[in-house]
Amino acid sequence: MNTTTVTGYQVTLVPITLEHQALLRQWRNSPDIKQCMFSNGTISEAQQLTWFNRIKGCENEWHWIVSYKGAFIGSTNIKATAEGASVSESPELEAGLYIGEGRYKNNILAFAPTLAMYDYCFEQFQTQNFKARVKATNSAAIHYNQKLGYKTIRTEEQGSVLEMLLTFNDYQNSTKMLKQFLSRSVKNKRG
Amino acid sequence: MENKEKLIKAFTESLGIEPQLVTDELTYNTIPQWDSTAHMVLIAELENVFDVMLDTDDIIDLSSVAQAKIILQKYDDSIEFA
Repeated sequence: MNTTTVTGYQVTLVPITLEHQALLRQWRNSPDIKQCMFSNGTISEAQQLTWFNRIKGCENEWHWIVSYKGAFIGSTNIKATAEGASVSESPELEAGLYIGEGRYKNNILAFAPTLAMYDYCFEQFQTQNFKARVKATNSAAIHYNQKLGYKTIRTEEQGSVLEMLLTFNDYQNSTKMLKQFLSRSVKNKRG
Repeated sequence: MENKEKLIKAFTESLGIEPQLVTDELTYNTIPQWDSTAHMVLIAELENVFDVMLDTDDIIDLSSVAQAKIILQKYDDSIEFA
């Protein structure tokens, strides 16, 4: 069960609770997010609650809602890929993210939840790699993952799905500058 | 060099685009050249050219040419882009 709040790069990842479900469903059903999902039907309120009741006690997948300056802007999650393993034990995790708040969809802040979550997993869990499965048509997600250091390792379903892998070293090497820019905290003025 | 010219030069050199593309409406991630990597190069160039150091909130908010002008003026009210 996810009770871990993660903070970093100006955002806070708050474990999802029942009270977040209406907002999550609203985001999840928005056309631009829905079209990127593998299961892209419209989610009913009942389906949302069934899903939440299934995952709320899970140790093999954790979900957070992302808070920035006191407002919720998106959602992020991790899932263990190793059979029977918890997220903390699995050497490989699959990660997901969507930004629901329109203002931050095309914004460098969209990297912050991922950086906070990946740092936490690499530091606190036994995570060695992250894996991502992305629709080949989702160029924004592919580009985003590449900026984090992901490499495409295979294609599935006649090229319609890419499987991407991120090692710790590739992550560290690819995100140094991003982390520096998203970690400045003191207002400065020079000259 | 006028501030407006400095701003356009910073955008064209950081993003590798033609000067006529640098309008107030140009927004982060709406052209392939203005991605996250170019955004960081752009921030560094703006800081260097205008001699300011932006805090993270402003790096996040600087998502268009129009926003760049507003943010730079916040750091130094003598900067004008007329």
